[in-house]
Amino acid sequence: MNGMHLLQARVGDTFALSIPAVTTTQLVRYAGASDDYNRIHYDHAYAQEAGLGGVIAHGMLTMGFMGRAVSDWAGPAAAIVDIEARFNAPVRPGDVVMVVGTVADCAPGSDGRRRLRCEIVARVGEKTVASGAAVVAAPRTH
Amino acid sequence: MSEIDRSLIGTSAPPFVVEVERGAIRKFADAIGDGNPLYRDAAFARRHGYEGIVAPPTFPTCFRAPADPPWIAALDRRRIVAGEMGFHYHRPIVAGMRFECRLQLVGVDEKTGARGAMSLLRQVMSGYLLGDDGVAQECVFTVRRTTVYRSAQQVASRSLA
Repeated sequence: MNGMHLLQARVGDTFALSIPAVTTTQLVRYAGASDDYNRIHYDHAYAQEAGLGGVIAHGMLTMGFMGRAVSDWAGPAAAIVDIEARFNAPVRPGDVVMVVGTVADCAPGSDGRRRLRCEIVARVGEKTVASGAAVVAAPRTH
Repeated sequence: MSEIDRSLIGTSAPPFVVEVERGAIRKFADAIGDGNPLYRDAAFARRHGYEGIVAPPTFPTCFRAPADPPWIAALDRRRIVAGEMGFHYHRPIVAGMRFECRLQLVGVDEKTGARGAMSLLRQVMSGYLLGDDGVAQECVFTVRRTTVYRSAQQVASRSLA
């Protein structure tokens, strides 16, 4: 993955990443790693009381998966210059998240690096849990 | 009727400093299950044109002020859910960088959706690279965050359950 595939990428190209089922342990780990200790993410009774029907994953964990999908596809020589997401529905322990990206636009960047804009969607089964977009700068051509 | 103090729109929280530690990057990458060597191996990252170990694109979500900003501090945590997030980079974040982070409340929108009334707090955080002299230099990244504050009725009606 030297990033040269990004120079040939076309609008409509897709990539995908399937994430193993989210676990409660992962939510605790993510709370620690991201310094976000809102109890709705690990305290079942509290999350019930909050009307959530049980603990839900951090929206930013789902977005982390979206970032992974983009960087895995783009390769280490590319740079993610922009990534955004909107959170549509909660992800819960046991859910298997599938991230799908689609190249929506390609244009030369002012710095001489090709820019690819991708639309990204994260789903659990048929349900969209988050959707967004990313802009990747392809490696320089020498 | 908004429960958010609208007089805070346009105000900033006190700036705070963060240091990007390689161990914090590795722990964050582990937590999202991302084994990318860019986040762990400085030599690998340098071979690919970076100055050192790279931070994952969502990493600035960890950059938190010592205290909640005034527009969040008064809220009921059970009613806060993530709405939108966006990260924009002028250059990549690498381990060892120090930033002065400036956080501002840029707007509050009231919305009534299928799940009832909610307030949307739009915030922007910018990270300015700190030189060895402690002086803020260029802006490296900008984070746009929309926090959703659900109504008390939504919590009672278990709208997200």
